[in-house]
Amino acid sequence: MLHIPERSFQPPFALSLTGLFLLILANFIPILNFEVVGKSQADFMITGVIELWRQGYFFISLLVLFCAIIAPAVFLFCAFYLGFALALRMRPPGLALVSRVALAVRPWNLIPVYSIATVVAVVKLRMLGEVTWQPGARFVLAVAVMSVLCEQFSNRQIAYERLKELGVNIVE
Amino acid sequence: MSLSDRSRVNLSRALVVTGLVLYIPSNVMPVMTMSIIGKVDPLTVLGGVRELYDSGLALIAGVVFLASFILPLAKLLALAWVLFLHGSPKLRRERCKVFKIVHAIGSWSMIDIFLLAVLAAVGQLGALASVTAEPGCLVFAVVLLCSLIAAEIYKPRLIWEGV
Repeated sequence: MLHIPERSFQPPFALSLTGLFLLILANFIPILNFEVVGKSQADFMITGVIELWRQGYFFISLLVLFCAIIAPAVFLFCAFYLGFALALRMRPPGLALVSRVALAVRPWNLIPVYSIATVVAVVKLRMLGEVTWQPGARFVLAVAVMSVLCEQFSNRQIAYERLKELGVNIVE
Repeated sequence: MSLSDRSRVNLSRALVVTGLVLYIPSNVMPVMTMSIIGKVDPLTVLGGVRELYDSGLALIAGVVFLASFILPLAKLLALAWVLFLHGSPKLRRERCKVFKIVHAIGSWSMIDIFLLAVLAAVGQLGALASVTAEPGCLVFAVVLLCSLIAAEIYKPRLIWEGV
């Protein structure tokens, strides 16, 4: 039987909760502003999804929507829900389902890749016009950091063990 | 719904072969067209890297080259090797290591798709500046998805069980 340190689930719980708040801010505040000959355009996370959809690239649009917005939100919510339940030794409804969704969605949480892509896009756009970072970019980066830390601090073996104690068996 | 182990192996093989077949078209076809003040520039994945390099941004060009060009091919070839030796007792430990590395770093190849999304978002200033996606981005996305899904479907335990 694996020994479960009492505070094992607190870091992922705190990091996922912070990540969820930051993700809301990252989605509602512009990331950057691009200006050419006095005309400018602001970029939100959803703007690229809408523009690709408008251009008829539905598949790419949905892929970006899923990997950059939906999957990080679902992953962070699942991590928060699991962290809450496991830290307090509670069995809220749907715990088994949330555990399975967290496992399924984890590889598709690509917000760290999105944040690096934003940096590359800024470098590229600077060759063409004037680009200014907007506050939303900080939140995108912060969500990426929270997301990576949340994964690093989550010990899958210990989580399985605590889930087993709560009567939930997860088979990968 | 859960897949049987044999289906996992077969599906992964099919996805890897599809990814390898589409890899060359994905790098030959333009993924986007950038138009800035009348100058129209269709860009392939490698064209974008070259543009960054020519502008003196060698480090960023290197990152994009690794993530968008080397990584998808390396991932597909590594998966092909793991799947080719499936069922054989040879090099099990090495295959497991390779598979875990591929699984951990594979998603970074999505950088070019996100780059397109960010550029398309801001590049909508009419005749002054516009960024439009090209069919090559669909092929490129399919290659990436083939490698990502193949790595998700195949499990390291199958290397040891060898069904």
